[in-house]
Amino acid sequence: MPTDLPQNAGYMIAAYLVTAVIILGYSVSLLVRARRARTD
Amino acid sequence: MTPTLAAARTTVQRGLWLTGLGLLGLAAVYVLAQGFTPLEVRQGAAQKIFYIHAPAAWAALMAFVLVGLSSIIYLWLKDPRVDLFAEASAEVGLVFSLVMLTTGPLWGKPIWGTWWTWDARLTFTLFLFFLFVGYRALRGAIAEPAERARFSAVVGILGMLLVPFVHISVYLFRTLHPQPVLLKPSAPSMPPEMVRTLLVSMVVFTVLYLGFVTTRYGLGLVAQTKEAARAD
Repeated sequence: MPTDLPQNAGYMIAAYLVTAVIILGYSVSLLVRARRARTD
Repeated sequence: MTPTLAAARTTVQRGLWLTGLGLLGLAAVYVLAQGFTPLEVRQGAAQKIFYIHAPAAWAALMAFVLVGLSSIIYLWLKDPRVDLFAEASAEVGLVFSLVMLTTGPLWGKPIWGTWWTWDARLTFTLFLFFLFVGYRALRGAIAEPAERARFSAVVGILGMLLVPFVHISVYLFRTLHPQPVLLKPSAPSMPPEMVRTLLVSMVVFTVLYLGFVTTRYGLGLVAQTKEAARAD
């Protein structure tokens, strides 16, 4: 592995975290709406 | 519970199971991208953003094309279920667009040196996002269901017409955005291990789309069935 590899892992971690938050957040919102639809 | 309501709730359940499967797949993509895909020498770790950015773009554009197609079918058949599907697909498309529009700048900053540039691909994509935000706002502003479906179908079709421009903008204009590595006439311009991770991620994002849209469509059906029962 070359020594001058760009040190930008922080951006990658941020992107993966943001994706997880958006996808999980929407999944939870669907789950909450589904529970509400079942009980109403 | 009427049989129709039961069927709508079953659709929601199926969607949730599919979503669960998609979430497991997403976890697998994270492991595959981090542990089993080589680092790109020139871009470093930031290149791995590509494995979520490109599949999110794929899912978003697919969602918006399906909004347009179902809008055409709605205007032809006037079936409210098709309108419900278009509504569901537009919402899910916005979720994936949000992933695309946040991960893109997170890649752009270390590679281009800027979070954003008014490049043709980026600008078209942002317009598409705002167009479908407008689609959602329009649906919220019209109370009468048939009128809401008809007006929003027209906006949905216009949104779909923008999708090919987003895809070919990198060929039509001088742009900073990289050209497609997979969805192009020639062979993929990446090593096989990277193509494998990208393909797995695209399948996973497709499963997530199917899970989200099935759940959201089922929720729309439940609401519509209850509304009809109240009106009787």
